[in-house]
Amino acid sequence: MIRFFSKNRTASLLVISAVSFALIGAFAPGFLSFATVRTILINGMIMMTVSLGVMGVLLTRNIDVSVGSTLGLSAAVLGLLLQAEVALPLAMAGALATGLLAGLLNGVLVAVIGVPAIIATLGTLGLYRGLLLILTGGVWIENLPQSLKALASPRFAGFPILIFVVAAIVLLAHLFLSHTRKGRFVYAVGDNRDAARHIGLPVRHIELSVFVFAGLMSAVGGIIFAAQIGFLPGQAGSGIELRVIAACVLGGISLLGGSGTVAGLVVAVFFLTSIDSALIYLRIPGYWNDLIAGAMLLLVLVVDGRLRLLIDKSVRAKRYANHASTDKGQSLIKATPGLTTSGGNQ
Amino acid sequence: MRPSLRFLLRWESFLVLLLIAEILIFGAINPRFLRPSSLLYSTSDFVQIGIVALPLTLVIIAGGIDVSFASVVGLCAIVFGVSVHFGLNVPVAMLLAVLAGGLCGLFNAAVILTSRIQPLVVTLGSLYLFSGLAVVLSGSIGAGGYEGIGGFPQFFTDIANMHLLGLPMPLAILLIEAILLGCILQFTRFGRMVYLVGLSEKAALFNGMPLDRVRMWTYVLLGVFAAIAGLILTSYFGSARTDLGTQTLLSAVTAVALGGASVYGGKGTIFGTLIATLLVGYLQQGLQMSGVSSQISGALSGALLLIAVSGRQLAGGVSVLSFLRPTALHASK
Repeated sequence: MIRFFSKNRTASLLVISAVSFALIGAFAPGFLSFATVRTILINGMIMMTVSLGVMGVLLTRNIDVSVGSTLGLSAAVLGLLLQAEVALPLAMAGALATGLLAGLLNGVLVAVIGVPAIIATLGTLGLYRGLLLILTGGVWIENLPQSLKALASPRFAGFPILIFVVAAIVLLAHLFLSHTRKGRFVYAVGDNRDAARHIGLPVRHIELSVFVFAGLMSAVGGIIFAAQIGFLPGQAGSGIELRVIAACVLGGISLLGGSGTVAGLVVAVFFLTSIDSALIYLRIPGYWNDLIAGAMLLLVLVVDGRLRLLIDKSVRAKRYANHASTDKGQSLIKATPGLTTSGGNQ
Repeated sequence: MRPSLRFLLRWESFLVLLLIAEILIFGAINPRFLRPSSLLYSTSDFVQIGIVALPLTLVIIAGGIDVSFASVVGLCAIVFGVSVHFGLNVPVAMLLAVLAGGLCGLFNAAVILTSRIQPLVVTLGSLYLFSGLAVVLSGSIGAGGYEGIGGFPQFFTDIANMHLLGLPMPLAILLIEAILLGCILQFTRFGRMVYLVGLSEKAALFNGMPLDRVRMWTYVLLGVFAAIAGLILTSYFGSARTDLGTQTLLSAVTAVALGGASVYGGKGTIFGTLIATLLVGYLQQGLQMSGVSSQISGALSGALLLIAVSGRQLAGGVSVLSFLRPTALHASK
């Protein structure tokens, strides 16, 4: 039982979410309703898309902290194009192209030039935010057209069109990562970069692609932001990079690369988003938000980490126990006692 | 090249040249920038970056990383503010704030070292935890987010405007801190262990070094200095706010990276980080005085970091290549 949960982060997170939902529901009647779930799903859309992009980067054992600025920059391009009366599909393409280019620069810096990812994306975090402020002159972009806002207004059973787009992207990402060769390549690069290179995987190409994908997903996040909020402050998306990385880690994506699933990420994103809604229902002042989110994140991680250490220990103990019993009577091993302690055949 | 001149090839020398060039360029644009008084006093606006960047260098050299210091700055300022609010006298409150900073560092170290989770993840969590704690603490005495806790005695708010050896107090504190940490890193057993722990964890372990204790102290030092930064900022602005440190997060990491420390551990110097802090700080100040809006300075300091680091990376690649080709090796001699 413990083993199952320690191996399966998605399941344990689901149980934690279910238990906390039930507890909150017991204390705050009205919380457990379709409307609440809908609100949480809609509020989590931006974080969902952006963290999907960051997930790819994390899988290759890199990191991208520039996504918040990329989100803001592509949203600003969208807003400026719309203000210049460009048609909506064309403006959206412009925003996506901006995200793509931003991701490309990150990818070139990391995969081609070889700058450590955290340093490179920290630099572009400042760079893209600055570009955004230069482009807009520091003025908020307002009066976005109704056609854009309509994308985020309730349509089917209270769900906006955009949520179906997000759901499709999530589904495609899941299928790509777990069911295609190229998807497994991404894991291979993060698990062991040198080994991946030696068996002939285009490592740099893969690293470049995940950064471009992260840029693209941030741009999608930017479009959703513009549609949902209806105006664009200069600080659009700032700070989301940390929340997104927190969601990825909570969802079981290792910062050491090579492990993590889309399903885990989805649960983690909506778990973090639901904290906000739950606090409102529990009538806890909003300023407790960061404290609770931080404590939750650390608690889950520490429990998870301790469990993993325990499991490792018990696995190792079993292995040695096996060893000791099979070794008895084997004269060869008896003659060289060093073998048993050095591990033997594992 | 003669050995006596080899220091010119060091990264730090390049940074010093870059700093001189930067000051001269801004001086050419706006001669007021070159006045000794404006060069001295504009440091008060960015000294806090250096105060946290220097101990952060130690953490990074030892192979760790900490992003939670940005919240510790605000949290310790709030601890100080709340203590004064409840009638404690100022020196005791300052001591409490520094103690709180040390405890934050200890908390990070304890979680990192017992759970063996990557330091970036743990400190990301505590970044929220500490800033949340600060907001809850300041909310508990009814202080608004943007006004913060004010009404401190005159002598406390004077601290940031005092002088020491002809230097403004914040800058003097930064320089004393740099000398202190530089000496610790260069001349003590602890300092040398910090390098070895970051360079090769296994080698340090097999040599019987107290790995965990060395790492723990780097985090505690960072917490303590983050608290000092919080106190200086509180004194400078006259009020304790939860968000005092948010701006230092990226600038301080930038300063450490630009200063030549490696995020993989084992490399970096206090002097490099100090010069890089001045480089980043004067860039912001200089741009402001040249009439460039402060918005663009963020873009430029990001670009500066990228150009410097990728330049170093490319230059490193070239020198590695030249070692592979014997002819090139001879040519360079």
